[in-house]
Amino acid sequence: MPVSLADILALLPEILLSLGALLLMMTEVFLAGARRGYQALLAALFTAAAFAAFLAQRGGGPRVLFGGFAVSDGFALFAGATICAGLLVTVVLGAGFLAPRSAERGEFYALALLAAAGMCLLVRAEDLLFVFIALELMSVPTYALVAYLRTGDRPSEAAFKYFLLGAFSSALFLYGAALVFGATGRTSLSGIAAAGGGKLLLAGLALVIAGLSFKIAAVPFHMWAPDVYEGASTPVTAFMAVGVKAASFAVLTRILVTAFGAPALAAVWQPLVVALALLTMVFGNLLALTQRNVKRMLAYSSVAHAGYLLVAVAAASRGFSGPSARGEAVSSLLFYLAAYTLTTAGAFGALAALERMGPDPQPWDLDRFAGLAKRRPWAAAATAMLMLSLAGIPPTVGFIGKLLVFKAAVDAGLVPLAIAGVLASVVGLYYYLRVVVVMYMQPAPLGSVPTPASWPLDLVLVATATLVLLFGLAPAGLANAALSSTGLLGG
Amino acid sequence: MTEAVLFWLFAVVAVAGGLGVVLARDPLHGALSLLAAFFALAGLFLLLAAQLLAVLQVLVYAGAILVLFLLVILLLDLGPARAAASPPGVVKLAGALGALGLAGLLCTLFLSASFPPAVPPSDFGAVAAVGRVLFIDYTLPFEAISLLLLAAILGAVVVAKGKV
Amino acid sequence: MLAVSQLGSWLPIALLFLVAAGLALALASVSALVGPRRARGVHDESFECGSEAIGSARERFGVKFYVVALLFIVFDVEGVFLYPWAVLFRELAWPGLAAMGFFVATLAIGLVYVWKKGALDWEH
Repeated sequence: MPVSLADILALLPEILLSLGALLLMMTEVFLAGARRGYQALLAALFTAAAFAAFLAQRGGGPRVLFGGFAVSDGFALFAGATICAGLLVTVVLGAGFLAPRSAERGEFYALALLAAAGMCLLVRAEDLLFVFIALELMSVPTYALVAYLRTGDRPSEAAFKYFLLGAFSSALFLYGAALVFGATGRTSLSGIAAAGGGKLLLAGLALVIAGLSFKIAAVPFHMWAPDVYEGASTPVTAFMAVGVKAASFAVLTRILVTAFGAPALAAVWQPLVVALALLTMVFGNLLALTQRNVKRMLAYSSVAHAGYLLVAVAAASRGFSGPSARGEAVSSLLFYLAAYTLTTAGAFGALAALERMGPDPQPWDLDRFAGLAKRRPWAAAATAMLMLSLAGIPPTVGFIGKLLVFKAAVDAGLVPLAIAGVLASVVGLYYYLRVVVVMYMQPAPLGSVPTPASWPLDLVLVATATLVLLFGLAPAGLANAALSSTGLLGG
Repeated sequence: MTEAVLFWLFAVVAVAGGLGVVLARDPLHGALSLLAAFFALAGLFLLLAAQLLAVLQVLVYAGAILVLFLLVILLLDLGPARAAASPPGVVKLAGALGALGLAGLLCTLFLSASFPPAVPPSDFGAVAAVGRVLFIDYTLPFEAISLLLLAAILGAVVVAKGKV
Repeated sequence: MLAVSQLGSWLPIALLFLVAAGLALALASVSALVGPRRARGVHDESFECGSEAIGSARERFGVKFYVVALLFIVFDVEGVFLYPWAVLFRELAWPGLAAMGFFVATLAIGLVYVWKKGALDWEH
């Protein structure tokens, strides 16, 4: 198979991210001085370039790259652009969070860029073998990032837990892929779809879903999420919550729809995904209710959001709905991913902005938000906007995302699931709005020292809140982009 | 005939080695069981005509990775006496039942499945044949692996250097 | 499956393993059977005479040992990919050189990073 220049150019975003990572590693050993601000700028530039490359490639039809290991299609481009947006927020968060703690190093950005390159390859992988390599390229740097800034026992425990469970879930996925290969003799997703298979294929399918369920933190595979999200430093948590989740959801959807899209197979996995979605929405929201620790609350909230996203995946099964309904479901998934990325990254930004330096027994307690409206009205307004979006209240992008997902579910004949989702969101209102209430109604506790403002963190807050509001008021552009990005190759 | 005998020999050693890793109380015995499993696996690869894979299994896994395991066990002072407290009986029973159930399920699946007949080329498994597939057909995964190894290097240094 | 005739070509290696295992077993059993048994008292200590042994030999070691070991494995795996490439060097020609060039260059940057970072420095 000759490698053509067009194939290499199609991977330009991933190449840019990798080059950026290499360059940052080199600056760390050759140019490391006291001033490292340029490293964040460099990382942000490469990320923005990758984002622009994804946007520039839109419009071309779906193409197979490198003899069928990867594809370039609307789905991959949209998901890749979403991942780059999440990475950009992470980089700015990292700059604002790490610099005052004098922990800013080129390695942080290099690891994040490498992981993002893995994510972007993951969303365009069209072969189980390559899915596995991309999955590892996403996971290995993330393990190291969780261990990046560790003071005290918590972060070390989180890093260890994440590494063990991550390796375990990768092994589950790999075993599933091996069974699928045994049943069909193929590793390419379209080849698996063409070959079909018996019970062995179903066992492989179940293991593949279980392995990826760990990565997206769906109940009952979510136990690691709160501890790891709490233990990792806040920019890393944001990166895990948006990047890893978006990439894993994209590849899960691609595998299910492309390789297992046949009606007989979809009839098997759809109930499975419906059950996962139901459990994840209900337990994610219920567990978040009792949290006074806002970081843990956001961790459970990201579990709950995995549930809403699974509703879209369930709706995308072809066996029960026509091709147009599937397109609607996939586009709702993409829109929700973009909305979720913006909102969640911003919400963790709010958390990072309030975190104190030095040892602090309860750095993320709800009280930290008390009186914020008086002290920093703009930050409070932005945080309120992000919380409304997480809760799914108009006029935010979170509302439009939920609307599209539940509409897709209804159109796919999953009315009870959609109703359960709406009820679960109502439960979610309580804990999101509690943050807003504390910010606006409670005075700051006596003797509390406000955390000094940091402009990169404020930039993240204001930018994400503005975009959340903007896409909420005028969602047509983003929704149309998602709708025109549902062309899954072979799906 | 020879092949069947060798297969059963390697298969039994591989499974016994795997069990040894899980059941051994002394981590050192566990590591040595793993070594036996690695060698048996290399033998199975050889029976499948995957010669390069068999050699690499011995070179990389038995030669490098297991040595690292042994080094860690020796340096961490993990004698049998220091091993973690064993879990309660209920947990053990549940784990054993779960493992047996999974093994039974997989055995039924494998016995009932019809595998598509594989028609390997005559030079299958030879170094040149593997190289041709690796460098010509699998270019993209191959290059992605260089990034993965780079991430491993970076991760090892970041984690080990600890204090930033 | 491998033809039995092909399997025969691995016989010398199988023999080598058998001889190695047999030799180890034989030496161990001979020493156990014939050797004097005086395993008690002063004979159990690390040094029969001279300095007294202090503490256990099993102590916590610096993390640098692990870093070097891990880096060794990474570059060992890199070396593994070079074997088939070396065998096919002429056949693969320029595309092969380009593919391997990118692969090695990426890891070479990794090596430069590790080197300059001082992860290989023992005294650092």
